[in-house]
Amino acid sequence: MEYVNPLTGFRVDGRRPNEMRQLKGEVGVVARADGSALFEMGNTRVIAAVYGPREVQNKGQQVNSKDALVRCEYRMADFSTGDRRRKPKGDRRSTEISLVIRQTMEASILTHLMPRSQIDIFVQVLQADGGTRAACINAATLALADAGIPMRDIVTSCSADLNYIEDSAGGPDVTVGFLTKMDKVTLLQMDAKLPMDTFETVMDLAIEGCKAIANYIREVLLENTKRLECQRDH
Amino acid sequence: MAATAMDHDGGEVVTPGELLGNSSLLAGLGAYADGRCVRASITGHRRLVPPPPGSTDQRSTVEVVGHKAHGAVPQPGSVVIARVTKVMARMASADIMCVDSKAVKEKFTGMIRQQDVRATEIDKVDMFQSYRPGDIVRALLSLGDARAYYLSTAQNELGVVSAQSITGGTLVPISWTEMQCELTGQIEQRKVAKEATIGILDKR
Repeated sequence: MEYVNPLTGFRVDGRRPNEMRQLKGEVGVVARADGSALFEMGNTRVIAAVYGPREVQNKGQQVNSKDALVRCEYRMADFSTGDRRRKPKGDRRSTEISLVIRQTMEASILTHLMPRSQIDIFVQVLQADGGTRAACINAATLALADAGIPMRDIVTSCSADLNYIEDSAGGPDVTVGFLTKMDKVTLLQMDAKLPMDTFETVMDLAIEGCKAIANYIREVLLENTKRLECQRDH
Repeated sequence: MAATAMDHDGGEVVTPGELLGNSSLLAGLGAYADGRCVRASITGHRRLVPPPPGSTDQRSTVEVVGHKAHGAVPQPGSVVIARVTKVMARMASADIMCVDSKAVKEKFTGMIRQQDVRATEIDKVDMFQSYRPGDIVRALLSLGDARAYYLSTAQNELGVVSAQSITGGTLVPISWTEMQCELTGQIEQRKVAKEATIGILDKR
């Protein structure tokens, strides 16, 4: 299967080969949560809600009492893909993505500031079109920032990848998590084999994407702070 | 309110990870030191606090004031206000309501063990003569185990600050072990906190 149309030079979803998906972020979409965000990357749309820091509910999960416990639950809505299908809770794919998101967020949260407490992150995919992992991490970051949970840096993620049709066809997919201000990679996942030199260009592309997303997330946060300010002043 | 609003408007808005300064500044709330530089950890307004007059460290503190403060989290050494929920022979459990002067948002449970009730004659303590369910207690948070925080009232200033008698009247402290009901004059046993320090509470 061709990923880039040789005649037009566009990809299946109409993007240029190096073009990033359209970004859209919104905070405070779930009123009950301490922090929440909706994040869109092209047609991929993800909602994240953060609860906490609160008391640890299941003490058995607490590994060490000096740090906060970060928990993450990832779920794909039944209607998120083209074919509507009931997706079992806790299948391998979602368990793996939950783990990936948890580890990535844990790396950026200053867990030692909140001993003996727990932070819950719930991520739900409303619409999947490739790069859900990346979109989930970005949504979780935005929600954590909205909740006012102290973080080392804004961790963003971008996959130099494919849309859902391309992804299902088994093309390479490289997801990178990145701490922009500190220039550190916290997540790197590749679901296919790539030659070394191609990998490096793909990786650079993903990092560029992460930086662009970080700038966008900062903008959203600044915008939100300003909006709150206006409300207060009136 | 006007004063705080001015403070807020003073600084620019920063987002997590943004550079606030180098090691010539100290990291305050909402900021952290990362090697040689100080970075923001939350979204909010950047603010510089000059060093307190008497301190040896002449560096200013930079802090970030966010718009959404998360509730206080109990920490060892903080004085908490808790409501006793259950009294057992060797311990009493209590729900923490305030940490220092901040109210907690979520539920945190604490435990007052028999040996932590008072400083002297710790093995002769009768839990039922010290606390009753519903009492409001000021306690010091020492460390805890995996299940609960350990609370200690082994100081004069710590113990019951407010309680109701069996009849429902307010209890007035008459000594450090006794409280009297306003309605009936009945005397009940409690580990009473020293009155003088209630001033701390009034200050807020």
